[in-house]
Amino acid sequence: MSILFSGRASGARANKIGAVRRFLMFFVHHFRQAIASLGELWRTPMASFLTILVLGLSLTLPATLHLLVKNAQQIGGGFAKAAEINLFIRDNTTEQQIKSLVTILSADSQVASVTHISKAQAMAEFQEASGFGAALNYLTDNPLPDVLVVLPTNTDPAAARALMQQLSNERIVEFAKLDLEWLTRLEAVVRLLQQAVIAIGLLLISAVLFIVSNTIRLSIISKREEIEVMKLVGATDAFIQRPFLYTGFWYGILGGVLAFLVSEGLLWWLRGAISDITSLYQSDFQIQPMNLIEFSAVIILAVLLGVVGSYLAVRKHIRAIEPSGP
Amino acid sequence: MLQFDQVSKSYPGGFVALERINFRIAKGEMVFLTGHSGAGKSTILKLISMIERPSTGRVMINNIDLSRLKRSQVPYVRRDVGIIFQNHRLLMNHTVFDNVALPLVIEGFTGKEMVKRVHAALDKVNLLDKQRCLPETLSGGEQQRVGIARAVVNKPPLLLADEPTGNLDPELSRDIMQVFEAFNQVGVSVLVATHDLGLIARMRYRTLTLKHGRMINDGLMPLQEPI
Repeated sequence: MSILFSGRASGARANKIGAVRRFLMFFVHHFRQAIASLGELWRTPMASFLTILVLGLSLTLPATLHLLVKNAQQIGGGFAKAAEINLFIRDNTTEQQIKSLVTILSADSQVASVTHISKAQAMAEFQEASGFGAALNYLTDNPLPDVLVVLPTNTDPAAARALMQQLSNERIVEFAKLDLEWLTRLEAVVRLLQQAVIAIGLLLISAVLFIVSNTIRLSIISKREEIEVMKLVGATDAFIQRPFLYTGFWYGILGGVLAFLVSEGLLWWLRGAISDITSLYQSDFQIQPMNLIEFSAVIILAVLLGVVGSYLAVRKHIRAIEPSGP
Repeated sequence: MLQFDQVSKSYPGGFVALERINFRIAKGEMVFLTGHSGAGKSTILKLISMIERPSTGRVMINNIDLSRLKRSQVPYVRRDVGIIFQNHRLLMNHTVFDNVALPLVIEGFTGKEMVKRVHAALDKVNLLDKQRCLPETLSGGEQQRVGIARAVVNKPPLLLADEPTGNLDPELSRDIMQVFEAFNQVGVSVLVATHDLGLIARMRYRTLTLKHGRMINDGLMPLQEPI
């Protein structure tokens, strides 16, 4: 007896599979549909290639800008010593008073280090550096003040400026100096770049969502007849949606890898030019590539874009397709 | 198994496709549905396959009122109805095996069980040797038999066939009707919509006759009675 007739002794009945097996098969089907969707990309090479290209290149721009911002921040960080505060001590201050202030500042959590440059040390350095060594010997009095060089714990310009204000109020301090203008400008440029990354990123993300959604919509339309048949034989919307969502997933993975490769390529291409600039400033600055966390973030963002773009299309269009009848 | 209770269906614009239709098909019964074009046969099939909902009245399958069914529940009830289409509605870029396996895949079958069932269904319609072929390489009759295999592979308790012998020669038509009879004999309810009065007359099963959306006959059709 054919198995199509077996188990019908008590009359025809729908033959269902058990809950446990259904649960296990759920994952098996997901795996199969994921692999089948990869094959679907291969069957429509041009549309798939263009979608992956658009997704990859759209993510390349914000990814590369992010890397540039990150490296610019590093340049700023590398010049942390520029946040040194010079405290010029009043002329009639005693050695004891200066030592007391050094002790107080050394105990302050906002201060990383304090160095006392005495009047004599300052004169010696000046004689050596200025080239007026012999001429300075004719001075009857040392005109240079004692200086305390304070390195703040937090080298952020705003924090350093606040600390300078606080220290300039010390009784024995004539005035305080912090040369941070150029660092402030660099920070402003970096902030501007960060905002540009966010704005450009948001615009490109919208474009990517639209493009992925449109590609999947066209794919759904081309499979309308197939979807109708599947619905007629009992497929749920979720079952029909799944391959399209996996297609979006693969678009994301491949687009993300493309974005990584192109942005690393751009960085490699810029490396020579950046090295030329930094060597002019005697800096041994090394450009930092994408790290594992950033790479993972690019891939996750790309996959999210692929899946969300697909979902926007399938939610609307698969639900709208209804069988036209036997 | 299947029950129509005062079912009417009208479309926007006022066209009345069905008017107060009542019938009941018991478990294991085989019934013909006939009538001229526009009589309402297709509307009845659409109501049973949940493509349309009745304007008034109730359509019941296994005591489930289809007119009150939530959209999300429709696919699960459809799995209990095997539909054979006049134009076959096969997936042309998939093999015969894949076409027949589709209802099983949807229901969650995999592996040996699925292969065993698909082979049994294809064997029943004498197409086991064509399982790797694409449907476009098959004749119309073979495509129809693939459609039958797909409809029966998950053992539905109700089979609907829309003009299953419409494009076939008499010998093939007889073979296909024998397949339906074989399923009917093991308890499957079968509803066959057809224009072929000769076929109805030969097979001598209960026949529902429609005219202008109304039921004009329910019973054995007198031989060669004009509709």
